[in-house]
Amino acid sequence: MPIVALSDASLTLWRGADVLPFIDGLSTNKVAELSKGQLIRTVFTDSNAKIIDCLTLFHMGDFIVASGYLPALDKLLKHTSKKILGQDVVITDITQRNDLFIEFDCENKTNEISTFSAEGEITRGNIASNYSILVASKGNGPSSSDDFTEFNLWRITNKIPWNGYEITNSFHPFACGLEELVHQQKGCYIGQEILARMRSRGRQGKVLSQVDTLTCKPANITTMGDMQSLAIIRS
Amino acid sequence: MDCGTCDTVSPVQMIKPEVVDVALTISESAKNMLTDAFGDDRSHALLIGVLSGGCSGYMYDLQIVETTDQDCQEIAIDGFRVLVPTASSHLLDGIEIDYVEKLMGGGFKINNPNAESACGCGESFS
Repeated sequence: MPIVALSDASLTLWRGADVLPFIDGLSTNKVAELSKGQLIRTVFTDSNAKIIDCLTLFHMGDFIVASGYLPALDKLLKHTSKKILGQDVVITDITQRNDLFIEFDCENKTNEISTFSAEGEITRGNIASNYSILVASKGNGPSSSDDFTEFNLWRITNKIPWNGYEITNSFHPFACGLEELVHQQKGCYIGQEILARMRSRGRQGKVLSQVDTLTCKPANITTMGDMQSLAIIRS
Repeated sequence: MDCGTCDTVSPVQMIKPEVVDVALTISESAKNMLTDAFGDDRSHALLIGVLSGGCSGYMYDLQIVETTDQDCQEIAIDGFRVLVPTASSHLLDGIEIDYVEKLMGGGFKINNPNAESACGCGESFS
């Protein structure tokens, strides 16, 4: 299966007794019940429900490892660190010690989705049925491509939003195709009132769509393909 | 994956909030409620903490405690002991502790001049 290197991914380690309730209280998905060996994605949103960062959390047992978007890391740390107050939460940036990759167009078994496992030097987290995130210590990753072209074409076909393309601070999670990461039954977090109102009223504004590259307004295109592209447009 | 746990990796430098000497007031209705709750026993204290979370980012956490592990400032008002965690002092300076009766029952309410906004249910602030 093709593997692409993620040069713009961040990796942070979150340690402390209060980590899971802390992340749960500040992000869209229900992460408080995450257990060792499981993986979950969640979105940190601001008071306008716009995305700060979308994290993939690995529960390693004694700590949580979170993969996110490197250009958003500063903003994420500023957003979270001032809210730690007296809680037992310590964050360490381990981006420079690791390489991250995406294996795509794969066929993960249903019972392997949202779990991760170590395969030699590589930790493989199965995000969905058709793609996984791979984390390896620096220089020990699999052979991969640095060219995003094939990955982006695959994303267009499968309507997968990505950091820096669709997942940006310009959009809320519903607009960029991350509605499955907004848990319907969880309590309050920053941006929740806006997202709950959108969902209950059925008004989500713009949505992620596959569009015809030639006829779609270029400003709406977020990932450009040959014939088809991804765009965030009014539904 | 190299988690950096085998050797020393420095944690990310967190924003350390300013520690301030907290001044706060308690309304008459809140004093009456505290008198009912504590009786003549003043060994217990009202701990007013702040947790992350809620629609606006911070939530009040009120507890009646005898002691706490948290590093706190202790404030005495009319014989009542009020504990404010040092880590939250910048968010709680100048607050008024009030008690209000509502349709759904009564409860303590924090009037906070530091809060820029509060969520619809009034449980959290930013």
